[in-house]
Amino acid sequence: MDCHVEYDGKFDHKNAVLLIGNPNVGKSVIFSKLTGIHVMSSNYAGTTVQLMTGKMEANKAKVPVVDLPGTYSLQANSEAEMVAVNILNQGGRVIVCVLDATNLARDLMLARELEKFQVPIVYALNLVDVAERKGISIDSKELGRLLHAPVIETVATKNIGIPQLKESIAYFYHASIDSSERLDSSFKTLHDESIDEIVNQVETISTVKQTWIDRIGEAMLRPIPGVPIAMFVLALSLGIVVGGGKALRSLLLLPIVNDFYVPNITALVERFLSEGALQNILVGEFGVLVKGIEWPFALILPYVLLFYFVLSFLEDSGYLPRLAVLVDGLLRKVGLPGHNIVPFIMGYGCAVPAILGTRASTSYKERLILTCLISIGVPCTAQTGAFIALLGDQSILALLFIFILSFGVIIFAGTMLNRWVPGRAEPVIIDVPSLLVPNFSSFMKKIWIRLKHFLLEAEIPMMLGIILAALIFETALIHLLGSWLEPLMVHWLGLPKEASITLLLGIIRRELAVMPLLEMNLSVLQLIVGSVVALFYLPCISVFIVLVKEFKLKVAIYLFLATTTLALLFGGLIHQIGRFVLFLLER
Amino acid sequence: MNLYEMKKNTRCFIEGVPNNQLLSIFGIRPGCEICVLTRQPFHGPIVVKHKHRNIAIDKHFALNIDVRLVN
Repeated sequence: MDCHVEYDGKFDHKNAVLLIGNPNVGKSVIFSKLTGIHVMSSNYAGTTVQLMTGKMEANKAKVPVVDLPGTYSLQANSEAEMVAVNILNQGGRVIVCVLDATNLARDLMLARELEKFQVPIVYALNLVDVAERKGISIDSKELGRLLHAPVIETVATKNIGIPQLKESIAYFYHASIDSSERLDSSFKTLHDESIDEIVNQVETISTVKQTWIDRIGEAMLRPIPGVPIAMFVLALSLGIVVGGGKALRSLLLLPIVNDFYVPNITALVERFLSEGALQNILVGEFGVLVKGIEWPFALILPYVLLFYFVLSFLEDSGYLPRLAVLVDGLLRKVGLPGHNIVPFIMGYGCAVPAILGTRASTSYKERLILTCLISIGVPCTAQTGAFIALLGDQSILALLFIFILSFGVIIFAGTMLNRWVPGRAEPVIIDVPSLLVPNFSSFMKKIWIRLKHFLLEAEIPMMLGIILAALIFETALIHLLGSWLEPLMVHWLGLPKEASITLLLGIIRRELAVMPLLEMNLSVLQLIVGSVVALFYLPCISVFIVLVKEFKLKVAIYLFLATTTLALLFGGLIHQIGRFVLFLLER
Repeated sequence: MNLYEMKKNTRCFIEGVPNNQLLSIFGIRPGCEICVLTRQPFHGPIVVKHKHRNIAIDKHFALNIDVRLVN
């Protein structure tokens, strides 16, 4: 099953079912249920920032479905909303408008705007289970009568109401409907008060005792205990990723790779190939069959897996918008409203979805600052795993230093960019969703999608990078490269000549700017310098392509130059200062 | 008085709002009753409970929302 079907510009959306709704109403889950394509969904606004397309079965025919980015209105306040409006303007066969049963009045405002498109509408009244928990009951039949369209109650995560929704979509898709009759209805001319009247007619609210999860959800929004809880969540997340990853690596994965896989594959290759260049390329120092398995699977994968476990849990539980509220005041000092904490945290997974996530930002200034900060100082999860593998066993303090430095540079760069980049951060409203216990099946599927994506995206470039490294070492090109870069690598950075390979491989993938250092028996100071260079070094090829696509080539090149300069400057300064301190200590 | 001046756990009626679509979408309109849940430090947002939703309203919006205390 395809898990990543982005809009390619050729999709026939005029004949498609258009799925639209406010952010965080469960649109992506409904899209998954209709099409069988599992797309990422989360419990916060702005998960879908690009068009997703798929096909659903309607009366034995395959019908195209488009999942539009969530939008509060059709005023197009952000780039993601603009995409939704553009597609709607071009038309479709049926609109499926997803309504949040806990927020009917708000969602009906968008529903009202949709009437002007003269396309039949089917309403999916989602999250009725959460509404029930809050004591909200909605008469969906009466709502349908007032909206002149079918309203299907759904709990998408549990597949409740999905068959009925499919039937309804199929009926409207195939039937020839005179939509003009419906558009002449009084609903078109209703004002805000009229929406309130509709809500008053269909919604009944009974007082229910606040559940423990709702109480925790509210407590998390108060500075006390919200801030201590945030610190605890951060420490726990780090503990799970770093501690759990280290345990998984040393107790399970490294023994399998080093004690079982490597001896066997080496023996097998040596049986068929005599000593020489080809044998070395396969199972030598940078053997592709050795390092190509050890690096991604034994050293990086445990951290990636646990990071996605933590991130997915935070996303699905609805904790991230609470964190966004708590850090809003602080983040604004670097020109970013609090909700940007979500793509920022995602950047610690991979910069590509994080940069795409900035499409939900409401100003170009916000997008640019956030993208710059992610590109400059946020290590991706694979690179973090590489840092832990490199420094964790040698010096925890050195590892801590790398992350503190990264954080310091992010704050400094953010403050400067906030001054330099024209414009201002727009005032925002954050809709804080209910705190939820994540749905186990969606949660596991999400981790699997991310892991699969990592393996597909990382393994091939990593193998290619390792082959390149093996060839460079085998053909003695490393000496040539080392000589060219000697003034920089040896004199300025204090690293051995062979470390030049990291600057080359780091272009392919960020962790490859770190991993070769594992094999070079470096001192702690050299490990720190190497890590600092890798941390700030230019973003990998995938990020560079996204930067060009999302911004302009000029922005991508500026970032390329800024990150490289920063990496070499910081690395060199740390080496020179470290050497001076060591000299003083030795005297 | 404006919403930003409200202390936490106070209930108030909205009397006037700036012309902004986001506020209207979230139901922050004259006549509605809200409860101030928390105030965030460093000039952060003010979190209000409106019906059964928690909404964080930016300081710049809150300063321009006129409110009247519920007795």
